[in-house]
Amino acid sequence: MEAKSFQIKKNIHLTEKLHLLELEGSFLQSPVPGQFIHIKIDPFFLRRPFSIAGYNDNTLKILYRVVGRATEVLSEKEAGDSLNVIGPLGNGFPVNNNYKSIFLVGGGTGIAPLLFLTDTLIRKNLNISFFYGARTSECIAFHLLPYGVDYIFSTNDGSYGYKGLIGEVMQQHIKKNGKPDIIYGGGPYQMLKQLAKISAKHKTPAFVSLENRMACGTGICYGCVTKIKDKTGWEYKRVCKDGPVFNTEEVIWENNP
Amino acid sequence: MGKQSLKIALNKLNLKTPIIVASGIFSYGEIDIGYLDYKKLGAVVTKTITINPKEGNPQPRLWETPSGMINCIGLQNPGIKEFIRKKLYSANIPNVKTIVSISGESVDEVKKLTEMLVKKDVKVIELNLSCPNVNRQNLMVSQNPEDTYRFVKAVKEICRSKTLIAKVSPNVTDITETALAAEDGGADILSLINTLKAIAIDTEKRGVIEGGLSGPAIKPVGLKAVYDTYQKVDIPLIGIGGITTGQDALEYILAGASAIGIGSALFSNPYIADQICETLTVFLERNNLKNLSDATGLLNEKNKTGAKKSRKKH
Ligand SMILES: Cc1cc2nc3c(=O)[nH]c(=O)nc-3n(C[C@H](O)[C@H](O)[C@H](O)COP(=O)(O)OP(=O)(O)OC[C@H]3O[C@@H](n4cnc5c(N)ncnc54)[C@H](O)[C@@H]3O)c2cc1C
Ligand SMILES: Cc1cc2nc3c(=O)[nH]c(=O)nc-3n(C[C@H](O)[C@H](O)[C@H](O)COP(=O)(O)O)c2cc1C
Ligand code: FES
Repeated sequence: MEAKSFQIKKNIHLTEKLHLLELEGSFLQSPVPGQFIHIKIDPFFLRRPFSIAGYNDNTLKILYRVVGRATEVLSEKEAGDSLNVIGPLGNGFPVNNNYKSIFLVGGGTGIAPLLFLTDTLIRKNLNISFFYGARTSECIAFHLLPYGVDYIFSTNDGSYGYKGLIGEVMQQHIKKNGKPDIIYGGGPYQMLKQLAKISAKHKTPAFVSLENRMACGTGICYGCVTKIKDKTGWEYKRVCKDGPVFNTEEVIWENNP
Repeated sequence: MGKQSLKIALNKLNLKTPIIVASGIFSYGEIDIGYLDYKKLGAVVTKTITINPKEGNPQPRLWETPSGMINCIGLQNPGIKEFIRKKLYSANIPNVKTIVSISGESVDEVKKLTEMLVKKDVKVIELNLSCPNVNRQNLMVSQNPEDTYRFVKAVKEICRSKTLIAKVSPNVTDITETALAAEDGGADILSLINTLKAIAIDTEKRGVIEGGLSGPAIKPVGLKAVYDTYQKVDIPLIGIGGITTGQDALEYILAGASAIGIGSALFSNPYIADQICETLTVFLERNNLKNLSDATGLLNEKNKTGAKKSRKKH
């Protein structure tokens, strides 16, 4: 990991509160899907973590939603402005050449690391189904979605695709068409928790990208921990350093995270 | 650059620069975060170690506040045995001293911890006195000068030949009383300050986050603690609290600190160590000072009047 200034190439408003940020530059060590970066957004004291949504041709992509003060300030930045970035951080999704049929399941901005993963998997001629859940049709980032993948959508209000939770839609799909070799997921905690249940029920491994509030992002402060099973029970592990990608089987899913 | 040197001696503790990474900020020094220039560091203090493993507090453990943050990590650590087995020797960064931070809820506990570290020839120990004292319902050890004296004395008796740093809490009426108690107990150096007690309110999830406040918000508090304590004690001080820039570090030195601790700013400012070295060197040059120790306390009242206030001993 390194700290470095990146110049903003593009910072565009996609839909509703969704934005796409493109930074110009590269890291010494190429990032892999599932890794994230830590951006300094003045005047805030702590950095803000964002998944890498794409990385190629000297361009680093971030997909973000305005949820609070720092993301609001970020949305006002313009092409040419600079941002200090620490990255790439954390561990990526484990990929394995034996996985031929793959489900990607994303909700909201949780699709960001899956977009990067799709970019790298697509070249391998695999059978990929991308389940994309959003609140309404307005929240879907259609034109970021790569070709060559089957998409299945769901929205909370039924304004696009199925009506309901994306996990349930995937469950139906499995019942009809059989299970995949692997599931990769990103999104709200409750959605990932449901994925974990489905993965256990169908004995299909699932890896998801977790989020938590962070201070260091590099594993030195122990602020971002989550309960992970170990030999004797569980232990608080760091989302930033031991994750953010975890096997759903290892995570202790809580009612009120 | 001239012949200015940032080398500093705090009693027997010799550091190549006055920059110390404060406890709890850098894990056990075993992780290479990639962006920090170790050549600029004098020492790293480990996360505080306790006798038994501690799982730490549930989430949320972090909360950003205006110009700072609240943390309630809850001293998560693997306990002293596991620390010695797995972490102690991984913590060695070339030419950077490792200081082991310990904390206990009773005199017995801190004595045991010290014995185990002395056996492993640990040369510098920081006693974190912000731990709750089991005998005094939730009061921290350093909130009571008598307890501070007893804890420090007990530890010093076991590590006579080593360097003992006492780290005191600012959550008191008069921090100089705690500082004096620690000096009388035999501390070689004082670290001040630890975090300030604070809460944040999460209106969305209807929760209260209670923990310690750190960051730029507490800098003026830390500065005053150093300024006041410098006038009362003879042992060197490590100034900590909200240091985010080279200028902040310089202010602490001029107030009376011999060295400075960087804390939560390290999470967001990768260049902080370089900036501090640069600012301090420029200051020495401009003022024709050869050594950093010449700058310590330069703007402190004590060095103007020369008088040291009389005091009672413990
Ligand atoms: C590994 C990781 C990857 C992430 N990837 C993305 C991404 O690709 N796109 C994206 O839009 N967001 C992502 N996030 C979340 C993003 O970091 C937060 O939305 C952002 O920090 C909010 O900052 P703020 O100042 O605008 O919000 P604040 O004013 O601090 O808070 C507003 C709301 O955001 C929530 N929030 C604050 N910090 C975090 C956090 N670290 N994680 C989750 N929720 C948080 C708060 O609970 C609150 O509800 C990721 C978080 C992590 C840990
Ligand atoms: C995440 C975090 C963990 C900390 N853990 C410890 C600890 O284990 N022991 C200790 O003595 N101080 C601990 N501290 C306090 C710091 O060492 C320092 O005294 C305090 O943060 C003030 O400095 P700052 O404002 O520069 O951060 C911790 C601080 C933070 C932010
Ligand atoms: S954010 Fe500091 S350990 Fe993860």
